[in-house]
Amino acid sequence: MRVGVEVGGTFTDLVAVEGGKIVVTKVPSTPKSPDIGAFAALTASGIDLAGIEDLGHGSTVATNAVLERKGALVAFIATAGFRDLLFMQRHDRRNIYDLFYAKPAPPVRRKDCFEAPERLRADGTVETPLDETKVSAELIPALKEGGYRAVAICLLNAYANPEHEKQLAAMIEAALPDVLVTCSHQVAREFREFERASTTLLSAYVQPVIDGYLHRFENKLSESGFRGRFTVMQSNGGRLPADAMRQSAITALYSGPAAGVVGATRQAARSGFKDLITFDMGGTSTDVCLVQDGRPSLASETEIDGLPIRTPVLDIVSVGAGGGSIAWVDDGGMLRVGPQSAGADPGPACYGRGGTEPATTDAHIVIGTIRPAAFLGGRMKLDSDAAHRAFEPVAERFGLSVEQAASSALQLADANIVRAIQLVSTERGRDPRDYALVPFGGAGPLHAARIAEELGISTIVVPPNAGVISAYGLVASDYTKFDAVTRKMKLDDAAAKEAGRIFDEMRQRLAAQFADMKLPGELDYTHTLDMRFVGQAFEVGVEIPAERLRSLDATYLAELFADAHHRTFMHGATLDRPVEIVTLRVGATLPIGGAPKLDREKLAARAPEQAKIFHGEAWLDCARHTAEALTTGQKIVGPAVIEGHTATSWVPPGWSAELDSHDNLILRKS
Amino acid sequence: MSQLGPIDYAVISQALIAGAREMGVKLIRSAYSTILREARDGSAGLMDRYGNTVAQAELIPMQLGPIGETLRACLKRHPVETLQEGDFLINNDPFEGGQHIPDVFIFTPIFVGGRVVGFGASVAHHLDLGGGAPGLNIHASDVYQEGLRFPPSKYSFERDWNGGSFERLVTANVRVPDLTIGDFNAQFAANAIGVLRVKQLCERYGTDKVEAAMKEMQDYSERRVRAAIAQAPKGTFYGEDAVDDDGLTDDPLVVKAKVTIAEDSVEIDFEGTCAQVKRNLNCPYSSTLSAALSCVKSVLTSPDIPYNEGMARPIKIKVPYGSLLNPRPPAPVRARMIPAYRVFNAVMKAMAQALPDKVIATGFDCTTAFCLSHLGEKGYSVYLEIFGGGYGASRETDGCDAVDSPLSNCSNAPVESLDIDYDFFRIVGYELAPDSFGLGARRGGAGFTRRCEILRDDVQLAIYSDRFRLAPEGLQGGEPGQRGYCRVFRANGTTEELRSKAAIDLGKGDIVEMFVGGGAGFGRLEERPDSMIDRDLADGLITRDPRAARKLAAE
Repeated sequence: MRVGVEVGGTFTDLVAVEGGKIVVTKVPSTPKSPDIGAFAALTASGIDLAGIEDLGHGSTVATNAVLERKGALVAFIATAGFRDLLFMQRHDRRNIYDLFYAKPAPPVRRKDCFEAPERLRADGTVETPLDETKVSAELIPALKEGGYRAVAICLLNAYANPEHEKQLAAMIEAALPDVLVTCSHQVAREFREFERASTTLLSAYVQPVIDGYLHRFENKLSESGFRGRFTVMQSNGGRLPADAMRQSAITALYSGPAAGVVGATRQAARSGFKDLITFDMGGTSTDVCLVQDGRPSLASETEIDGLPIRTPVLDIVSVGAGGGSIAWVDDGGMLRVGPQSAGADPGPACYGRGGTEPATTDAHIVIGTIRPAAFLGGRMKLDSDAAHRAFEPVAERFGLSVEQAASSALQLADANIVRAIQLVSTERGRDPRDYALVPFGGAGPLHAARIAEELGISTIVVPPNAGVISAYGLVASDYTKFDAVTRKMKLDDAAAKEAGRIFDEMRQRLAAQFADMKLPGELDYTHTLDMRFVGQAFEVGVEIPAERLRSLDATYLAELFADAHHRTFMHGATLDRPVEIVTLRVGATLPIGGAPKLDREKLAARAPEQAKIFHGEAWLDCARHTAEALTTGQKIVGPAVIEGHTATSWVPPGWSAELDSHDNLILRKS
Repeated sequence: MSQLGPIDYAVISQALIAGAREMGVKLIRSAYSTILREARDGSAGLMDRYGNTVAQAELIPMQLGPIGETLRACLKRHPVETLQEGDFLINNDPFEGGQHIPDVFIFTPIFVGGRVVGFGASVAHHLDLGGGAPGLNIHASDVYQEGLRFPPSKYSFERDWNGGSFERLVTANVRVPDLTIGDFNAQFAANAIGVLRVKQLCERYGTDKVEAAMKEMQDYSERRVRAAIAQAPKGTFYGEDAVDDDGLTDDPLVVKAKVTIAEDSVEIDFEGTCAQVKRNLNCPYSSTLSAALSCVKSVLTSPDIPYNEGMARPIKIKVPYGSLLNPRPPAPVRARMIPAYRVFNAVMKAMAQALPDKVIATGFDCTTAFCLSHLGEKGYSVYLEIFGGGYGASRETDGCDAVDSPLSNCSNAPVESLDIDYDFFRIVGYELAPDSFGLGARRGGAGFTRRCEILRDDVQLAIYSDRFRLAPEGLQGGEPGQRGYCRVFRANGTTEELRSKAAIDLGKGDIVEMFVGGGAGFGRLEERPDSMIDRDLADGLITRDPRAARKLAAE
């Protein structure tokens, strides 16, 4: 049996799959110790832990440790003269007109930052050797004095030569055996010292927390008779065994949204859809990601609390548009939706818990797409009057009817999501019309068709159990690890050859790491070269097709690069400018084989009910179907609502829906 | 507006802002020179067909403010009806709507159905545009010595760029043509993206609605600014600050502002400001306007009000012609950011009397341009960086440490990136400067030092900076911040102090230490909580306990 347990902010979801059978469990999360919620979900599901072969886990432990500043007491060490690297940052401001601006605060005090006497050059050669005498006499005693749990080391140009970092780490480990030491070359072998230092510091900061958490989790598991493999989700969309995760704590950030993308990708692939735009609409926000040929796009950097993290992550863009997002009128008289959210408490007005401001969910009640009696399969009754009352002031302000006001708020929420999708598609040189839209999360399928219309997308794939796709993603994801190394070379045939050689080396290193993790099997590799025109500062990643790896030459790489550059920036298609290779990246994936099938609960067929939905400028008569009662191949012509236990889909006029043999509901524009 | 519903408006306006933001991101990410790609000294925006700013990528406040002035100067020569598809407009003329020579503004008309609906606009600070010295000629006594001047003009992209005559003219007159032409191309590309996004919006919603939304966006900002002014105390307030000197004499250059807050408008008069000077510290009208508007916007309105032409309508500015802040041609203007900061400071000090809770004390508030260059066998290598300092403190908050000053927003260049790109110098230190700020109930932000070791002979250093003489002043009893300096430790063991505007030859083994000071404090030090003092002491940001002196005085 394969089990995924996903700890979210409000709910902990569990998906268990065996053969064609699926168990779905939802319990409240326990933010103070997330493992309690996770075990509560296991208990509630009634699963025998001894029967689980594969347990995938995702949690917000790492993310919360940073956001709530609950990580380890950490010391930071930089090259002499650069102790303040983490406070200097990039000398810029996020908000240019804010007089009271404060920089993002790294989770370390200035008094806990130290210097190492040494200096390397850009090519890795030594300018000033590491002064070991001084380290022993001054730095080590200071570290002992400070009582640190972890140490982060980031020396200038260590990406080109890690020797000084290794030397220093060995000295510290010898003198302070209980302290966890993290070096910058271990987390990011790429240039730009502040971004690398920030990544190293955050990694050192969360590592003891992750380590302790996973240790507790594993102990409880083995006490409960668990004998299977325990794995943890990463932000790059792949899993790692819990043991390996302790060395790579930083990749545990943002694992939840990544799991959702993987789950949606796997489920859509069953029906043959490989080029996708996924959007996960929850209570407070929507996460959007573009998937090309079955592989989610990667970004080389992300950030948390304004601090950069240089590690490959799924390229997910988040906007403040969810079921709880509030519609409001700003002091210039403009209607806006979000990013403020009513959250879970008090929640939208219709929750009847004292919320009075109009939220997206209230708007759905007003226009009729959500039936107050049937929310979450009838487990939660909603107050329709409260939803209407909440929209009255907006209606009055703009001289609209209440349903027009609600419909306007939904259009604005849609527009926010459309912009997020444009960010991952149009702005990256991809045309959204070439992709299928895959909505999930509680609110996704209700908004999908209108968003598709805006973007010219003509196919929507709604996965079954759209409300628990993230937990499914945990059991459907592969094992993944990335490596990257900065090696600046002017592009010529010799450099192309050298790139091939470095790729070989990186593959060997990754293969060794997989062997260390006791993950045997044939690895799939991806190879990317970050290149730029000589003189530029930002690189464009170009993926190298596997079949060309053995025969790389400069002309071929230059063409690939010019193409990619032109797609993004709309210039540079000419080949007359010199190009350079900056960073080489290799991704290694151990496929888990056939992903478990995610199917749906089935109920006896029943006749649809009649419903009225406000669409465009009028109330439409339409049919309301029960998702669980649909039969394969049954075609539903819009306007129609398809109500499910964890999510409801809206099929507008001009669209039709059909349940395919993989239990995906396919919406098509006719 | 009749055909434009509130939803269409909200959707189109947000899309225009997103379009401008995308232009800005792509301008920076596809640029070549360190000044544009790392320091991000460039901006972008969308304009309406009348030359008004509609939406901007929030990059550099100074460049953003008067883009409309710069475009309208072009449209005066080349009216919108005479433009053809494929044309572009260009302007960097300090005396016809531009700011200083390095900031080149390019405008690309957006044609929909044969009619211009607006412009894609971008500006970049170019590393070198010729002139009397690489990157920065601090000795220039007129604008001709500061580099190539493009008066408001019109060219055809197809005919004149991409190997055309205009491109060759530029190439022949700049020292690092690969970088400069590359940065021009990044500007054209950014404009092309803006053009495409607006065209797509017109296709989706119709040109009428898009143009109506452009107009409404300006009206919206204007309404919000007027609403904010209406709530401010009425009256006339005075503020004054000064530039250290003009680089030749030791006389301070005084900037005076009279700010009158009326019912729903503000008037700022710079009568009494000193006359224009012989070196590059003159501030063209557009720059003065931009500095004053930035200050009023920052103080009066919340950051979410989009900066566009409407924002400026309630604010009237009067600047005497021939003064430091509105010089007659051909005055040199390269260092115009420095007087522009005194404009910002003088207006802020005036507004501090009306709105003490919304202002900050004076910060180091200075653009320090730091330029190293070397002529090697392969041609010129030019390094130019911009440094800020510490922000002033406010009623509630300490000033921001080590950040670019309010009118600008340049990033630093990563040390590892400089190590890769330059072989004639190396950064050997980059640190916060303890005790560099003014204490108070809230302290100013800390300044910093950046140290460079010179690795070859025949390297030239040129700087312009300020506040080497006159420290930033505190508010409501806050103490002043420290003054800056630039010091050269020669390989032979001697030390040289530089003036704030200086050029000097350097040799192998010399070390240059550039120090930019911190901001001033707000409120009396006695009111500073112990916990904040203890924290700064522990972190080494202050090296002496200020309470010790207080105790001593009490005894």
